[in-house]
Amino acid sequence: MKIAVCVKHAVDEAELKVDSAGNPLLKGAATKMSTFDKNAVEEALRLKASQTGEVVIITLGTTEAKKSMKEALAMGADRGVLINADPMAADTSRTAQLLAAAIKKGGPYDVVLCAEGSSDNYSGLVPPMLGEYLGLPYVGYAKKLEVSGQSARVERALEDSVEIVEAQFPIVVSVVSEINEPRYPTLIQIMQAGKKPLEELSPETLIPGIKPAAPLVTGMKAQAMARKKVVFEGPPEETSKKLLDALASEGVLPR
Amino acid sequence: MEKEILPISPKLDRGEAKIAGPRKALLEQGMCQIPFPEEYGGLGLPFSVYANAVEMLGTADASTCLSVEIHNAVAEGLHRFASEGQKKEFLPALLTGKSLASFTLTEPASGSDAGTMATTAEKKGGEYSINGSKMFITNAGEADLYMVFAKTRKGPSCFLVEAPNPGLSFGGDLSKLGMRGSRTSEVIFSDCRVPEGNLVGEEGKGADYAKEILHGARIIVAALNVGIAQIAYEKSVSYARQRRAFGKSISEFQLIREKIADMKTEIDAARLLYFYASRIKESGADYSSEASQAKVFSTEMSLRVCDSAIQIHGGYGYTTDELHRHWRDARLLTIGEGTSEVLRMLIARRELARSQ
Repeated sequence: MKIAVCVKHAVDEAELKVDSAGNPLLKGAATKMSTFDKNAVEEALRLKASQTGEVVIITLGTTEAKKSMKEALAMGADRGVLINADPMAADTSRTAQLLAAAIKKGGPYDVVLCAEGSSDNYSGLVPPMLGEYLGLPYVGYAKKLEVSGQSARVERALEDSVEIVEAQFPIVVSVVSEINEPRYPTLIQIMQAGKKPLEELSPETLIPGIKPAAPLVTGMKAQAMARKKVVFEGPPEETSKKLLDALASEGVLPR
Repeated sequence: MEKEILPISPKLDRGEAKIAGPRKALLEQGMCQIPFPEEYGGLGLPFSVYANAVEMLGTADASTCLSVEIHNAVAEGLHRFASEGQKKEFLPALLTGKSLASFTLTEPASGSDAGTMATTAEKKGGEYSINGSKMFITNAGEADLYMVFAKTRKGPSCFLVEAPNPGLSFGGDLSKLGMRGSRTSEVIFSDCRVPEGNLVGEEGKGADYAKEILHGARIIVAALNVGIAQIAYEKSVSYARQRRAFGKSISEFQLIREKIADMKTEIDAARLLYFYASRIKESGADYSSEASQAKVFSTEMSLRVCDSAIQIHGGYGYTTDELHRHWRDARLLTIGEGTSEVLRMLIARRELARSQ
């Protein structure tokens, strides 16, 4: 069984600082493997353990993205493919095109795994686009993935229901974080990860004539939490009733 | 460390969580493998890398760190002084966390003056019979392998005792001021029989081996104290920023700033000392004085830093376990693994000899 996992080297949202005007300070910001991508890598490793096969990590990024690549390899993936391109100069469509080209080049793969979205921008656009560019069925938001023979039974975590679908390989699957608990690599695995094969590809070799397509970002602000700061004064018997009424009128509690 | 140990650290202090699970996870991750050669399952990395990892673990939880440090000291002793057969038999399991070790030297009436130990080992046929007791022993009752120092007719000697053994028993868990997550008790040997093949190195050389093992362990204790001081410092800076008095953040007051400056300076100085001692150890030169300097300075430094941390936190510092436990944890280490007083004697003796 051959599995490709698409991994993004993302801004560490937990460490991101904003200036006084609410603009995120992206320059020099700490980076890491996109949080949910670890779930995708973990799921691939579990599938491989139950089936035998190969797990290949594919990422688009600069040399810095090798950090995430190394982490995924330390977790247990077999080899990596780095598409050497500035992710800031590739919008979601271009990213998906390049990932699809790398998957086709190294394929065929039985399963292509992604996270439901990246932990920095969280647009969630790349996985379905990958399905389109590869011409493969796309099963999104998997919270459980069971493989039998050449097909998979997937439980999809939708907003208020769980949908169960079956799909024949090859497929593209995006996973949600509840699908598993990603493993921690041991120190030996971390040290050995640097010795695993890493292929570097340029966008031009994958898609001759491809041009950068930077997304047009018109603004980016930290989310401001609006607080109403309502204070009820008086004895508890009165204020507790006022609080309950206020919560009910806000729709927090049923009337 | 962040996922398994840091979250339960306050619970370990209050006795609401057990150390065994997170310690095993840590050892399985390779914490103990760092400074040992690959042929025994180690990573073959420099000792200073291990010391630095200990500092990080010290910030997460001091008592887990102490337990691991003792375990690793036994591994270091085996690596330095045991036969090839003993290394092959015991080291891989220790390095991967499959077994836990304990170091038993101190006795109820004998500490750094190891020559006065009362525990004896008498050869009977193909076995040694060990009798006596050891005090203040970390990992007692939990360990699978005990490195035991006992006197034979040739003097203090080093033995390996595997648990369980009918002649091996333990006192109750001692009530400690700090380091409450790790287990400490008396270890009692009563006609404790071990095969003669469990003698480590040569009979009569045990005191030298113990001394050598402790030199390395002192660097590690220094690193642990830097970790304790670092976390107390970080909490203090964070608190000083948000606590307000007289209409402004207390971090704006000069006397608080003086404390922050001194805390940070001392922590960095202690970190450099343990790195310096580590590098001398790595070079193969005599590092006994530098290791002792690092331990004396670092342990006394972390007490000062943790005391300042309580002072900066005011009443909350005195009444909050999560803050004063750092001082309580640090308090052990001017005593354990060589008191500050004994180590000052050692430093002076060594430096006077060097200047001759």
